[in-house]
This record gives sequence, structure tokens and C-alpha cells, in this order.
Amino acid sequence: MFREIFAFELKTAMRRPYTYLYFGILFLLTLLIGMAASEVFDTTRSDSLTIRNSAGAIANILLGTSSSIFSILVSILLISSMATVIQKDYEYNMHPLFFTKPVSKPGYFFGRLLGGSTVAVFIFSGLLLGYWMGSLFGMGKPVMGNYRLMNYLQPFLLFTLPNILFLGILFFSLTTYLRTAMAAYVVAIVLMVLQIASDNITANLDNKTLAALLEPSGAEALRLVTQYWSPAERNTNMIPLRDEILYNRLLWLGVSLLIGTVSYTGFSFSQFLQPLRLFTGKVRPEAPVRHGPLTLDKLPKVDPSYGTATAWRQMLAIAQFEAHKMLRSVFYIVMCLLAVGTCLLIVRFMDSMYESSTWLVTYKVVENVMGSYNLYMVIFIIFHSGTSVWRDREANIQELIGVTPVANTALLTARILAFSLAMAVMLALVSAAGIGIQLYSGFTDIDLGQYASMILMNMAVGIVFIAIALSMQVYSPNRYLGFFLTLLPLLLIPILSSIFEWSHPLLDINGTGEARPYSDMNVYGGTLPQWLIYRTYWISLSATLCLLAVILYPRGKEKGIRARWKLSRHIDPAFLRWGFAATLTATAASGTIIHYQTHVLADVRKPKDQEKEAADLEKRFSRYKYLPQPRITTVTLEVDIHPDEKTLQIKGIYTLRNKTVSPIDTLYIDYPSGRKSPYHYPIFKPTVPARIAVDDKNHGIRIYTLAKPILPGDSIGFEFKMQYIPNGLFARSASPVVDNGTFLNSSLLPSIGYLGDAELSQNKARQEYGLQPKPRMARVDDSAALMNNYISRDADWIRFEATVSTQEGQRAIAPGYLVKDWTNNGRHYFQYRMDSPILHFFSFLSARYELRKDKWKDVNIEVWYHKGHEYNINRMVKGIKRALDYYTKHFGPYQHRQVRILEFPRYASFAQSFPNTIPFSEAIGFITKVEDGPDDIDVPFYVTAHEVAHQWWAHQVIGGDVQGSVLMSETMSQYSALMVMQQEYGKEAMKKFLKYEMDRYLLGRVGEWRGEMPLMLVENQQYIHYNKGSVVMYALQDYLGEARLNGAIRTYLEKTRFSGPPYTNSIDFVDHIRAVTPDTLQYLVTDLFEKITIHENYVKALDTSRLPDGRYRVTLTVGSAKFYADSLGRERKVKVADLIDVSVFGTRMERGKERQVTLASQRVWMDKPEKTFEWLLKEKPHSAGIDPNHLLIDRNAKNNTARFGEKPVVPDLNPGGNPMMMLMNSKEE
Amino acid sequence: MFLEIKNLSKVYPNGVKALNDITLTLGKGMFGLLGPNGAGKSTLMRTIATLQDPDSGSIHLDGIDVVHEKNEVRKVLGYLPQDFGFYPKVSALDLLNHFAILKGISDKRQRKEIIDALLQQTNLYEERKRSVSEYSGGMRQRFGIAQALLGNPKLIIVDEPTAGLDPMERNRFHNILSEIGEQVIVILSTHIVDDVRSLCNRLVVMNNGSILLEGTPASTVEAIQGKIWSMAVEKTDFTHYRQTMRVISHHVSEGKMVVHVYADERPEEGFEQAAASLEDVYFSTITENRG
Repeated sequence: MFREIFAFELKTAMRRPYTYLYFGILFLLTLLIGMAASEVFDTTRSDSLTIRNSAGAIANILLGTSSSIFSILVSILLISSMATVIQKDYEYNMHPLFFTKPVSKPGYFFGRLLGGSTVAVFIFSGLLLGYWMGSLFGMGKPVMGNYRLMNYLQPFLLFTLPNILFLGILFFSLTTYLRTAMAAYVVAIVLMVLQIASDNITANLDNKTLAALLEPSGAEALRLVTQYWSPAERNTNMIPLRDEILYNRLLWLGVSLLIGTVSYTGFSFSQFLQPLRLFTGKVRPEAPVRHGPLTLDKLPKVDPSYGTATAWRQMLAIAQFEAHKMLRSVFYIVMCLLAVGTCLLIVRFMDSMYESSTWLVTYKVVENVMGSYNLYMVIFIIFHSGTSVWRDREANIQELIGVTPVANTALLTARILAFSLAMAVMLALVSAAGIGIQLYSGFTDIDLGQYASMILMNMAVGIVFIAIALSMQVYSPNRYLGFFLTLLPLLLIPILSSIFEWSHPLLDINGTGEARPYSDMNVYGGTLPQWLIYRTYWISLSATLCLLAVILYPRGKEKGIRARWKLSRHIDPAFLRWGFAATLTATAASGTIIHYQTHVLADVRKPKDQEKEAADLEKRFSRYKYLPQPRITTVTLEVDIHPDEKTLQIKGIYTLRNKTVSPIDTLYIDYPSGRKSPYHYPIFKPTVPARIAVDDKNHGIRIYTLAKPILPGDSIGFEFKMQYIPNGLFARSASPVVDNGTFLNSSLLPSIGYLGDAELSQNKARQEYGLQPKPRMARVDDSAALMNNYISRDADWIRFEATVSTQEGQRAIAPGYLVKDWTNNGRHYFQYRMDSPILHFFSFLSARYELRKDKWKDVNIEVWYHKGHEYNINRMVKGIKRALDYYTKHFGPYQHRQVRILEFPRYASFAQSFPNTIPFSEAIGFITKVEDGPDDIDVPFYVTAHEVAHQWWAHQVIGGDVQGSVLMSETMSQYSALMVMQQEYGKEAMKKFLKYEMDRYLLGRVGEWRGEMPLMLVENQQYIHYNKGSVVMYALQDYLGEARLNGAIRTYLEKTRFSGPPYTNSIDFVDHIRAVTPDTLQYLVTDLFEKITIHENYVKALDTSRLPDGRYRVTLTVGSAKFYADSLGRERKVKVADLIDVSVFGTRMERGKERQVTLASQRVWMDKPEKTFEWLLKEKPHSAGIDPNHLLIDRNAKNNTARFGEKPVVPDLNPGGNPMMMLMNSKEE
Repeated sequence: MFLEIKNLSKVYPNGVKALNDITLTLGKGMFGLLGPNGAGKSTLMRTIATLQDPDSGSIHLDGIDVVHEKNEVRKVLGYLPQDFGFYPKVSALDLLNHFAILKGISDKRQRKEIIDALLQQTNLYEERKRSVSEYSGGMRQRFGIAQALLGNPKLIIVDEPTAGLDPMERNRFHNILSEIGEQVIVILSTHIVDDVRSLCNRLVVMNNGSILLEGTPASTVEAIQGKIWSMAVEKTDFTHYRQTMRVISHHVSEGKMVVHVYADERPEEGFEQAAASLEDVYFSTITENRG
């Protein structure tokens, strides 16, 4: 019997066109993705170390399609193909036909379930087949490795298949039980929330395992297990079915089996004969019939009216009816609860930096409130629009409604209105939740205006979705197709846009244009006009759809589009004509404005064209690369910032000196320009007679032939007046000059000589245009490159003076000391002069500032901040003082007499050190909320110390334009800040920070696209120079001793201060460290700086027993393995002979809290792979291990220590073995 | 008050001729539309009720062009379709109020008056706060009538109203309908001949989209008086009779088959002349057409 039912289910499903439609869509989608991965399309190319057909890459494609809104689409597919197989028998009243036949319960139940599952597996195999076909296009290209069948099958079997079964059984059980698919949808959404939640809680390192287990698709588990995999491992390894992946799969398969069993046990053929009800109402007996004759005469006369007022009344009545239904529906309530819940969750785990939270300023909360609300509202709109439009037909009341003199316009508008109300209510709820969180967190300075404008803005965005979703349901012959029609463009257009590199704003469905985020300093940034135009476009476009929906609104039982069109012939043609005219005109007009502003006024090119342009530029001008050029020695500027007009004028003069040994007769200038450029140059010339030899405005390159060559040692001047005038309305809101909080830097000024910055960096792209591969950076010992420092190629140490003006009421700031300031004609002028040589690297800021002043010895401390952002000023001032203390004491004198911190809007979230001037984003530090105690990292203090350190590391010592130079700026600033922090907060407080740095490094190397470098040869790779740098320098000072290391650093600094060209390099730096390192530890310097070294330190066994004298005997066997990795992460095991800590820990109660204390610790030579140690201790030991403070880089930090009484897990020291073996191994576990 | 239907035709996309050149003129009173399932009755009704469009032909109600001025018709129309449902969990009172607004009764007081009156008249007042979806079949039909009577309709269309009702309810329903029929145009579609006999002053028999017969119940019966012959025969002989004479109906009685035959003269020995009934009219009409 099972066989017949199964075959029947399969046969009917395979006859349905939808089965193939769903399969086809998934197939096409991944086919396109696969073709894009195979580089079939004419789009930009980027270098990568990983191939796109490894098991991991394919798993990510398969699982990538289960993220948020896509997971809803997946659920719709599963629900419509699998969940409703039994429910449909009831819906169409087929069940008596089945149940009166001799059908067995298991036969029927499992036949249907397995039939449905098989169909679902077929549909989802489209994902795999599509990607497989697509990836075949890449055959022979380096992006694809060997085509191994298992690479495709394994991810499908490990993830897609179990996920289909799990979700399918879950939906099937729910639907079969509750007789409605709605419950399944609600659960689908709850599962999506689980995914979002697990995504969010992983911001905290300790939650990763939990998240990996709870997230039902297995994506989080995959991410965790493979998180530190090097590119080489990614390319060759299969997906290991162990640890979190295994547990996650077992957990969720178990859950689905359980649900299936419960559902099967509870299922009986008659279950639907009585509708399932939560509350059984009293069945009342029918009232006795007292029948008098009915006469129409007795009916009171009414005089119906049919004017505009009635039309409104009718519309409102329907709206009220719809809203009533909507707001009380379980679905809506669940969505509201989820929106509020997600909002709370997101705010709780908000983008924390080193896990320290921020003050809940209103914009932070509002953005998150919006984020969480939006998803749920869109889901609600998509699904409930189906319910709302189909309600009349499903209740079979449509003919009764259809014959009333109510207009289609009212029927549709009422629904839009009801949805708008639902949207407003949900917005109000999440806003209330947001305000609640703010108050709860102790933040009381709530900006209600921001909430109000957020609600209004969201309403204007949401109404477009409402209109589109309702229209699609009206057009569609059934509601599933309606869902699809609504969802498909939302999902497909972004994917297609990214594959084909489309970027036209009119394709960004319901977009609002590019706009900067809200900033406390610069509020909405003047984007309102732009916003309104975008809204006009989308609202009028959706209104056109609505007008069409008015014509096609279903009345009665007519189904076909043509029949419905005919039925609406009576609708006032004037109304339709004017309506379409108005909406289409508004759409066309606003669309034209948007196109004009974004594509006519501005020079917009596809990324591919930009790539070609860059290649052309290089081919034309790279021959000037080694052309000797004079160097900038002084810079004098007049900078006029106009916050009202968003314009900028810079008048400047450079002194250019011939520092070479031969005369220079050609001057090469590179300046900001391009087609339709907003930059204009009324003055642009050398101060000596010269002829323009090349003038390329499109690339912003001008080459002069000087009438008289500059002789060695001589100087000339170069003067310019540069104006920035935004092209058009939209460009104004993207201007670097803003209302409040302008932040400009020297990179927008003309520069001397061929820059090479614009050259294509991706070798794959270079190859396409016939360009030689380009190293990411010059070799560490490249003597030509060492003649430039890595900050600027046209200057060494310069003299600097600038007069900066802004509108009155704002303060303009540049590096240097304020000589004088004056006002004239509504403008405020500030003259700054620097009294010592600086790098060619400076900034200009203008804002309405508050000032906090302080002093450290004779150094003035100033913090210029936005009013209201006082939270951490004290910590910043303290950071400056402690930093100055430490650096002057250990490194050398400070070259300036002031340190200034200047706040700028959150359009960028960094702090940057210019000479005696530190611009600091409002997004970091200023609103960080620091809790006192060892668990919180004092971010403002740390960032300040890091930036102040740059006054030494970069502004005193600067490396050449070669590999490794950032070691002496970023890594050293990081080290300096670490030492200041350690002095302030103690050793314990460093642990958490270093744990993050280790994690960031290990995660960072995974995403490497060209090749990981050892620290000494770092090529501006942040995960190396910041994160690995911290770990390495901390270990080094621990092994060498802080004083000894600082001694070497001081010697190096004294030797290299303000020197160059030629500039110093990292070899010189490391040599200084080697000079103070004892012979026994020279290996460590090699490992830390010159190699990519990975340790695997672990506890093999540990035991303790109590001796008769009360002491404890402890034996500990630890192991250590050392690997050298190449640039791809391929590891080679080397002999270990390293000095490593082994320690035993106990616990002690301190102020009611259990704290770990070190009972014994030794630094020992691990000259054998495994060694055993023994101690006699007075206190009871709790745990023990090797390198417990994680000084050495180790991908598996957890097994460094183990607790007594637990059996430690010995790691596999030969990873990357046979994948089939791994599958079998894991089965044994 | 006249409803004039001229040359109305409609062919469904699958080729079924639902309406074939229908021409009819109706005045005040109860008008019965008889015909077997699929005769085109519902299509005709829906077309008059503005829920479908004909392919050709016209309908006018007192000067209103029904096909092109749908909204004008809807203002004076009461419609009770053959098959309808209600929103779950909405009370009769609320739903009636909702319909009243949709019918344009904007004045709140008037609305309340007519709703109360209708609920009283249809004997639903006691049950007005109950959800309509929980009503029994008879109550639903009465509610259907109540909503059709909202807003003083001039034209009421009732499609198969008594299908599925028990005899008591059917009786009650007839009473209501006959009351209404005295004052406005009522079109009653049915395949139950008894309904027409007891209620209608005029009738039309439809089959395959065409009108086969039109007249008053009495005149149509009169026209075939004396031509209906009846006899109880053995079941085994039934085929013989069917092949040799025009059998318009048959039913089993006391183990024998009673056949009704249409003939100008006694068709065979043993046949008795039977008093013609409306049922005989109906059956003779549709069988004639079939042949």
C-alpha cells in the first residue's frame, strides 16, 4: 500500500508544472552564480587563493541560499511541495475517498510524506545541478580545482538533504496537524529568527559553540569548524563530519525524527472530521422559529447615497474590517513579538568593538529598530497580502461583495490603508521597545524626533511594498504565485545586479538612493530632497501597479485576466486616464531626475569599464614611473570650507626642490579630475616658465616641460587654486564638505610624479589587459622604493602652514599651532603653522565643537567634541597622559607641544593620527560605554594610546615604501598601546584583548587573497600588522622582558628619527631586536617575525593525588608541535625545541567570586614533542596546561589547558588527511 | 419596472455555450427559471447580477444598461447566489452592517433600523450576535435573503435557494420569497419544479443555454392538458416503452415502474390519461429538446 501511495504522490507532483518551475528557478539561480564564479561574464576579476569548487565553497553556495529572506522562499517551496500533501486531501475533501478504502495508516502517512520529500529533494537538487553546470564553464581556469564528485555531493548530503528532511517533516507535521499552512509559515519565520539570532550572538566569542548548535541549517556550525582553515585547507579538505557539525546535524535530525514520530502517533484518519479547535465554544440550540409573514412594507425605507462621501465611508469600513482582522491575527502578533524580540536581541549584541558596548544613543537604537522591524514587516506584507486579497474568495463571499455598489478602488485602497495601519502599529511597538531599552540601559537623552522621522520614513518606504504585494496578489491566479511574484524581484534583482555589476539606482527596488547614515554631528546630512525624489519615483510606480490592480480586481468568479479586464469596462475612463497619466508622468519625471542626477551629471561607469580605464592609464603613463621629480619641501595652503554651499576652495603653493644629482626639466602633476569632474582649477602652474607637454583632464594628469631645468639643489614653486563644486542636487549630499563635521585630508591635493595607486592590483585583471603581474608591495630591500616613505611618494619631511576658514560658528582645525584667528564677512579664519618638519600628511576639519582642555607637563591637551558626546572625554585625556608618560620614558621625546583629538561624523569609523592632531570618529570611542572591571576593555583609552603612539611610530620613524614598514608604525603603535593599557589595567586585563587579537588574526588569514606574509614582510595586511602584531609583540616582551625590549626600541628610534631618504625598513628594526636577544632565544625572533609559525600546544594527560602530608602530587603530560606555513597556509611540521610555559592553577574565593590563581608556573624547554612534569603543591589544583596565556599562535587554544578529572582530547597532528577516512573516523566518535 | 434581455449570448473558453441568444422581458413579480444542472441558469443570473459579461446582447433594467452601467444596477440589486460563504468569526449583525455600508446606506440610524427590521423579519434577531459561519443551512439562507433585501432593491436574484434545506425551512423560505415577489422583480432559479409551481407567476424553461418554453405555470400546464398518459409497467419492459414512445418521466412505485408518456392520443392499451402537472411540462419540454 505504501508503494502505491508513494507512487501516486510522486506521479501527481511530477505532473504539476510548479514542481518544474521551482526546480528551474533554483537551477537557474545557481547556474548564474556558478557561471559568475567561472568568470564567464565580462565583469571585473579579482585575485583569490581559494577555488570555487571545493567542498567548502559548494557548501557555502548551498547554505548561502538559506539566509534570512531567502530562507523564507525555501520554506514556501517546501511548504507548497511537501507540507500540504495530506492537508490538501482535506481541503479538497478527498479524504473520505482515501479513508474508506483499505489504506493502512503507515502506508498513507509515510507514503505521502516520503513522496513529498522526494519531490522536495528533486526541487532542491536544482541548486546543486545548477552550480555544477555553472562551474563547468570554469574548466581549466585557475578559479576551479579538480572536479571531484564528492565536493558536490558531500555538502548536499550533509546540509541540503537533512535540512529538507528536517524542515519538510516539521512543516508537514504542523500542517497535517493544524490543517492550515499558516502555522508552518510562522514556524519557518521563527527558524529564520534563530538564524539571525545565532548570527548576532557570535559577536561574543564564548557564544560561538552555542550558536553553531542551535542554528538549524548547519551554516553556523560549518563556519565555526572551518573558521581558521587556511586557503590551502579550504581548497583540499572535505567537510569534516565532526565536532559542532556532527552535533548540529544529529541534534536537528533528532528533532525532526521526534516531531515526525509525534505527528505519526497523533495522526488518525478522522482527525479532520472535527476541525481542531483551541477553545470549544458552546453549541447553542437553534432558537424556536416564530414566523410572522414578511412584508417589505414593514421594512423601513432607506435612502442610500452614492457620492464621494459614501465612497470614503465604504472604503473606511472595509479598511476597518481588514485592519481588525489583521491586527488580531496570530501571524501579525507573532511578527510584532519577533520584531520587538529581535530588536532587543540586536541591541543587546550590537556591533561591539572588543566586546565593549556603546551608549545607546538614539541613532544606534533607531537603526537597529528599523533593521529588525523591516524584515518582519516585509514578510508580513508579502504573506498577509495574500490572505487579504484572497479572503473574500476563500470565504466564498466574493459574489455577495461583488454585487454591492462598492468601487474596486475602495476595495483596494482600503487594504492599503489597513496595511499602513498595521505597519504604523508595528513601528510604534518597536519604537517603544527601542525607547524602553534606552531607558533600561540608563540612557535618558532620548531624541524622539529621530523616532518620529524614522516612523514617517519607514511608512513611505513600506507603502510601496504594500502596494506591490497587493497588486501582485490581485493579478495572480493563486496566492502562491502571488508570493512568488512579489518575492522574486526582491531576491533576484540584487543577485543579478551583483553578478552583472549593475548599479543603476532605478533597479534598486524601493531604494532611497545612496545616503550617509544619520550622525549626531551632521544629522541627516541634507539628503531630504534626494529622498523625496526617490520616494516619488517608487510611490508613483507602485501607484501605477495599483491602478492596474483596480481594473483587474476580482469580483465574482471571473478568473482570467481578460475577463476581469472586460468586467471593469464600466470604471470611469476619465478616472483611469487621468490616474495613469498622473502616476506615469510622476514616475517618468522622478525617474528622469534620478537618472540625470546620478548618470548624466556624474560620470558613472561599470566596474568593468573602470578597470579598462585604469589599464589604459597605466599603459599610457607608467613609463613616467622612474622619471626623476623634484620633491615637495614646503606646503602653504589657504583652505576655504563652505558648509552651506558644500563647496571647497584650496589655494596652495608647493616648494619643489630638486634633490637628485642631475637637472630636472619635466614636471609631472597628478590631480583630482575626470569627466564631469566637480574639481576646477582656476590657477594651476609652476612659478617658472613652462610649456604644457601633456594635458589629460580625464585622468587628471598634466606634464610640463620647464623652460629652464631645475638644477640639483634648486627649487621652484608650484601654485594652484582648486575648487570643488558638487554637480547637482544629489552630489551635494555626497560632498566631502558637510553641514557640520567636515573631515578632509591631504590626499585630495595635487601630487607630484606618477603615483601608481590607480594601477590594477588584481593580477588576473592585469593579465587580461596584457599587463605584467604586479607585486603587492616592493621587496623589503628594494633600494629604489626605500627612497620614498610609505605615506607619500612626492615628499620627505616638509614645512607646513595653512589658513583654514569656515563659516562663523564653526571651528576649522589643521595640524600645527594656531597663530591667529579672525573673522571677516561671516567667515572665521584660523591660521596654523607647524614649527617642526612633518610628513606630507595633514587634515582639515570644520565643525561646531565643544572643547575640553588639559595639560601634561608643557603639552597642551585638547579634545574637540560634539556637544552631548562627553561620555569618554576623561578616558581620552587620561589615555593621552598615560601614553605621553610611557612613550617619553621608554622611547624618546615628543616632538610637539600639543595633542588634539577632533571628533568627526560616523561616515568612517576610525581614528587617524596626523601631526599633533588626531581626528576620531564619533562611532568609536566617543559613545563607547566602558564598565569598570577586568572584563571590559577600555576602548577609548586604548584607541587614544594607539593614536598617540603614532606620533612616534610614523611621525618620527617612517619606513620606506616597501614590505614590512607598517611593522614600525601600526604594530609598534599597537604594542605601545598594549603596554600603556597593561600599566593602567594590569596583566589580567590584557588576556581578553589578546584573545580577540589572536582570533582576528586567525580569521583574517582565512580571507587572504594573495598570500600571507610573515610579520616582517607584511604588505599592509591589517590582520597581520594589527592583530598578529599585538600577539607577537606581547609574547616578545614576555620572553625578553619589557625593559630589554624597550631598550632595543629606543636605540632603533634614536637612530632613525626623522631620517630618510633612504628610509629605514623592518630588517633594520628586527636586527635591533636581535641585538638584545640572547642566543637561546634567537629562534623565537625568527619564528615571530620571519616565519608564519603556528603551534599546536596541548595537554595529553594530567593527574593529581593527595599525599598523606596534605600536599598534592601533580603530574602533567603536555605536547607541543610547531608548523611553518607558507603563503597559502600549507603547513610543514618542524622540530619543536621551544621555551614554553607550563602551569598549574587552583581556585580561590575572592569577594564571593571564584578566581583562578597560579599555583606553579615554569618556562621549560619543550625539546621533545611530549613531556611530563611533576609538582608537589600545597593547594588543591584545578587545571593545568601548556602556554596557558596563549603567547604563541595556536589555532586550537582550548586544549592548551585541561581540568583535573577530565580526559583531555589529543588533537590530530596530521590534518588534511583522506576525506573518506575522516567521515569514517567521525562515525566512530 | 421592466427587465429586458435581448439576444444574450455567452460561450465559455472551453466551447460550452452557456447562453444562446436569450431574449426575455420581465416585469414585477416572481419569475421562475427552470432547467437541469448546466442549463445556463447560473450564467444568466450572474450576468444580470453584473458578475459576468456576455459576449453579445444587452440587458436593460428600467433604462439602465446592465452591461455597461454595472454600478447603477448594483444600487438596486439584491443577490442571493447559489453557493456562498461568510467570513469566519463575524456576527450576523456586524456582517449585515458591513453589507449595508457597501450598499451605500451611510446614515447610521437608517442602517440600524433596516438591519433590525430585517433581522426581525428573517427571524434571526435572537441569533444576531452569533457568527454567521456557525449558522445552520436554513439560517444561512435567511441571512442571505436579509442581505439581499438591504437598500430597497428593485431586482432580486435568487439562485437555487432551497437546495439542501429541510422541508420546514423550505416552506418558510417560500413564504418569504412570495412576500417579496409581490413588490419587486424576483428571478428565482431552480431545478425543483415544485418551487416554481408554488411561487412563480411566470416561468421559463432553459436547457443548453437556450429558452425552450415561456409562460405562466397555469397556461403551460393547460397547453399539454390531455396529452399526458400514465401506466404502471414491469421494470423489464421499460426499455420497450422508451424505444417506442416519448417517455417524459418515470418513477418506481410499489415495485412497478410508473411511466409518463407524452402523446396526442392514447399510446397503447392500458395507459390512462393523467392530469398534467408542471412537472410534466418541464420534463416534456426538456425531453422534446433532447430529441
